[in-house]
Amino acid sequence: MGIGNAIDRVEGHLKVTGKAKYSSEFQIENKVYAQAITSTIAKGEIISVDTSEAEKQKGVLAIITYKNAEKLKTSDKKLPVLDVDSIQPVLQSPNIHYYGEYIGLVVAETFEQAQYAARLVKFEYKKETPKINFKNHREDAYRPKEESDYSRGNVEEGLAEADVKLEMTYNTPIEHHHPMELHAIIATWENGKVKAYASQQMIDNAAKTIAKTFQISKENVRVISPYVGGGFGSKLAAKQHVILAIMAAKKVGRPIQLTVTRNQMFTNTNLRQYNEQKMRIGAKKNGTLTALSHETLSHTSTYEEFQESCGAVTKMLYKVPNNLVTHRLVPTNLQTPFAMRAPGEATGSFALECAMDELAWKLKMDPIDFRIKNDTQTDLSNDKPFSSRLLKECLRIGAEKFGWKERNMEPATKTNGNWLIGYGVSGASRGAPYQKTSSKVILERKNQTVYATIQMDATDIGTGSYTIIAQTASEYLKIPVEQINVELGDSLFPVTPGSGGSWGAASFANGARMACLNAIKELKKKLNVGENEEISVEKLLTDNKLDKFEAEGTAEPSEEFEKHSVYSFGANFCEVWVDKDTGMYRIKKMVNVGACGKILNPKTSFGQIIGGLTMGAGMALAEQTRVEPNFGNFITRSFADYHVPVNLDMANIEVIFLPEEDKIANAMGVKGVGELGITSVAASIANAIFNATGKRMRDLPITPEKLIMAKKEIGVA
Amino acid sequence: MRPFIYIHPQNEKEAFTAALATENSKYLGGGTNLLDLMKEDVERPSQLVEIADLNFNKISEHESGGYTIGAMLSNADTANHQKIRENYPLLSMAMLSAATAQIRNMATNGGNLLQRTRCPYFFETSMPCNKREPGTGCGALNGMNSQHAIFGWNEKCIAVNPSDMCVALAALDAKVLVQKPEGDSRTIDFKNFHRLPEDKPELDNSLEPNELITAIELPEPMFSDHYDYLKIRERSSYAFALISVAAGLQIKDGSIAKAGLAMGGVAHKPWKLTASEEFLTGKKPTSENFKKAAELAMKDARPLSDNSYKIEIGIKAIERALTQAFERKA
Repeated sequence: MGIGNAIDRVEGHLKVTGKAKYSSEFQIENKVYAQAITSTIAKGEIISVDTSEAEKQKGVLAIITYKNAEKLKTSDKKLPVLDVDSIQPVLQSPNIHYYGEYIGLVVAETFEQAQYAARLVKFEYKKETPKINFKNHREDAYRPKEESDYSRGNVEEGLAEADVKLEMTYNTPIEHHHPMELHAIIATWENGKVKAYASQQMIDNAAKTIAKTFQISKENVRVISPYVGGGFGSKLAAKQHVILAIMAAKKVGRPIQLTVTRNQMFTNTNLRQYNEQKMRIGAKKNGTLTALSHETLSHTSTYEEFQESCGAVTKMLYKVPNNLVTHRLVPTNLQTPFAMRAPGEATGSFALECAMDELAWKLKMDPIDFRIKNDTQTDLSNDKPFSSRLLKECLRIGAEKFGWKERNMEPATKTNGNWLIGYGVSGASRGAPYQKTSSKVILERKNQTVYATIQMDATDIGTGSYTIIAQTASEYLKIPVEQINVELGDSLFPVTPGSGGSWGAASFANGARMACLNAIKELKKKLNVGENEEISVEKLLTDNKLDKFEAEGTAEPSEEFEKHSVYSFGANFCEVWVDKDTGMYRIKKMVNVGACGKILNPKTSFGQIIGGLTMGAGMALAEQTRVEPNFGNFITRSFADYHVPVNLDMANIEVIFLPEEDKIANAMGVKGVGELGITSVAASIANAIFNATGKRMRDLPITPEKLIMAKKEIGVA
Repeated sequence: MRPFIYIHPQNEKEAFTAALATENSKYLGGGTNLLDLMKEDVERPSQLVEIADLNFNKISEHESGGYTIGAMLSNADTANHQKIRENYPLLSMAMLSAATAQIRNMATNGGNLLQRTRCPYFFETSMPCNKREPGTGCGALNGMNSQHAIFGWNEKCIAVNPSDMCVALAALDAKVLVQKPEGDSRTIDFKNFHRLPEDKPELDNSLEPNELITAIELPEPMFSDHYDYLKIRERSSYAFALISVAAGLQIKDGSIAKAGLAMGGVAHKPWKLTASEEFLTGKKPTSENFKKAAELAMKDARPLSDNSYKIEIGIKAIERALTQAFERKA
């Protein structure tokens, strides 16, 4: 019962028995199928569309292209900022912005008919030369907004003061979210009302996007998403396929099922963009940082703007008086990037934590000592105190558990047969945001037993939301988890911020808590019982002569929260074995220590961290979407080409959560763990590879071909 | 997928009759490659003849000491077969390094020989590719070619054969048994089964239209004590080889009596290292000789713009595979 226990997922049985329904699994009467068509050029214009052959096919109900698509709300800005509730116009013009853009949709009675007919629609283009590689178009770079730049002190002066300084550039490739569950929707349009079973992380934002794009009232939009098979940011916002399906439902007058194929998920559900990060860093001989500069060049699309804040961590993680952070974007003919797990932190920490390791080695300092030397309890980017910060403790305790003292400072000196053995470390931090969240509790008394139902439009994207919400209700209603039913993912329920940005656990738990506390408070008030009196919820209902009672509650950040910098902190340690001849390597061991507030359920939290570490290992090892330089298409087209780590790649993983009491963060002291795990993992692996081989690998992923061709760092024996 | 005729014959005669009756017919084995390519619109057969029920699923020993393995046996059942593990552990090791357990359960031996390249230009129908659509040009030549050939390529095609099994078969000097629809059968030496692109990159092998692979013949086991299949790849499973090496050594009286050596991921066909094999024969199994054999193997390599790493890793990989083969404790 209650929070803090490692109970199994409350919805686990439904999932393993196939009873948990994902969005494309709802059996809707009269349903038909849609298949999207995508562009095969990266820039230009459609000059003709021939649907004659496709129309003749059996079962075909409609073919929609820009010629006959419904007029939707479009932006009048050249580069509107892409957000979680932005409009998603689609098929509004013959212009092509990138390879793989939606250019049409076929609706047919069966899936196979739709797929085949989609292949028969012929498009002719007028091609233009696309801008593919942002590095070839630096002259187009621009500052997206004033807040894209930050500085304190003077970096040039700080570098001049330094005894040791370095300048390096780190590159991270395009990556894709690729949750296991494909993006999918079943949409109906009846009497001006939309109903959408859609795989989304944020219900309310999806409803907003649909309402704004079709220019209808949000009250006429219902979004249902009870189970989501992963999102990693790609399902934060409703994407164009959601709009396509609704458009088709309106046109055909029947429910439409549209599934985005795995291949289409490379080009239509966003991506993590290329980042070129230039780091400049300097310190005194004793290890005191004097300057830290982090300048990021990325791409956006030619039709929307998205900026990932790679420098966010660099502003606040270490005590350095002179700090500069900038972000610049180059519009290219690729799909608009968008948030992917730990946007900014995952990529920015690779540059920052590798740079810290590089400077530590130049200073002949242990990288842990170097980090601790520059620790701070104040966030220098806003002069606010941290609500809690156990970075030092994460590093020290992790070092002990990992066996850090076995590490040789000098690279390429520890071997076993053909293997070169290296140890690496990195520090990590991720904001612990928390947002206004509402929830409803319905109490029902049957005989002497009270059952509770918690409702909110929160989602469970595989993280364990159902379970921690049930545990929270159990904690505050003081009834067993088995008597609690949690209902999520429906826009009819009270509004939450949804799953994303690591705020889910804190927001949902505190929202559920408020509803439960309000229920008890109201029931006590009706009886004129003192608020602090211990009295069971069963007795409260009985004494009130009630069989059923409902209450709502809303939790939101406190004034204290606003006065502090609220973060989770962590450290990752890893041992890597590199084959000296082939460049293949194995991650042998990882120890991850996190200080992330009150852990609601160690089992689901471990799952989150292990998943994050694996995704971080993927960044280091192999994950990358390759762009064809002449045609602008992605040559990584499936999971056969887009390499995520396999079981054999992963290490023995030890996850440690430090006990942390942070009531400033929120009433329950909960901080998210969804993104802390991935942060800095790639850096710890790259640092371990340096320790093993003496080679600095500054371009992700670190593949055998790159590793074998790389030269040892100057100064390595 | 485009519509196609599906035939499920119960015997060879029915299969051949069906194949001859319809133009552009293909035999369907496990479907792990063909069906994928049909979904991608790369393969567009008008008919599939399912050959699951034909009697090509046995492993049998010859009087001469060699073995015949049926074309319709799955990769998993072949690689895990007691006799194959004992007598041809090199083949077993190579096969088990390929794909995933699920794919190996479906994929057949005959189908493995017919696997098509993983060149991304071949897979994407909007891009030029002489192998998919003769005459459209090779997109990879001046595009992305880090995964492509270093031997035997020309400006028409730089693709590589993706199979692991075939690299071992090349090292083992296997033969491919083929039956013609008219009833005749023939045997093709493994080194002549796959071909180089030359002026017909659309053809991966020397099969005639509607010929059916029925079995693979393995000569008398020679490398059951000293063998290694070394596969260099981006992750530890479910990844095609950047480069792979199959090495078998027969050691007699402290010298190499016979060497079998082939590479994968370097050419349009499994690349047999004949000169290195000949060099090693009769020599002592020393690291110096292994190094010379490796250098000899790479002497004529012609890297493309993005793949000179294959030469760097290739030399080390051959040396390593030979060393591990020699040092292996049976």
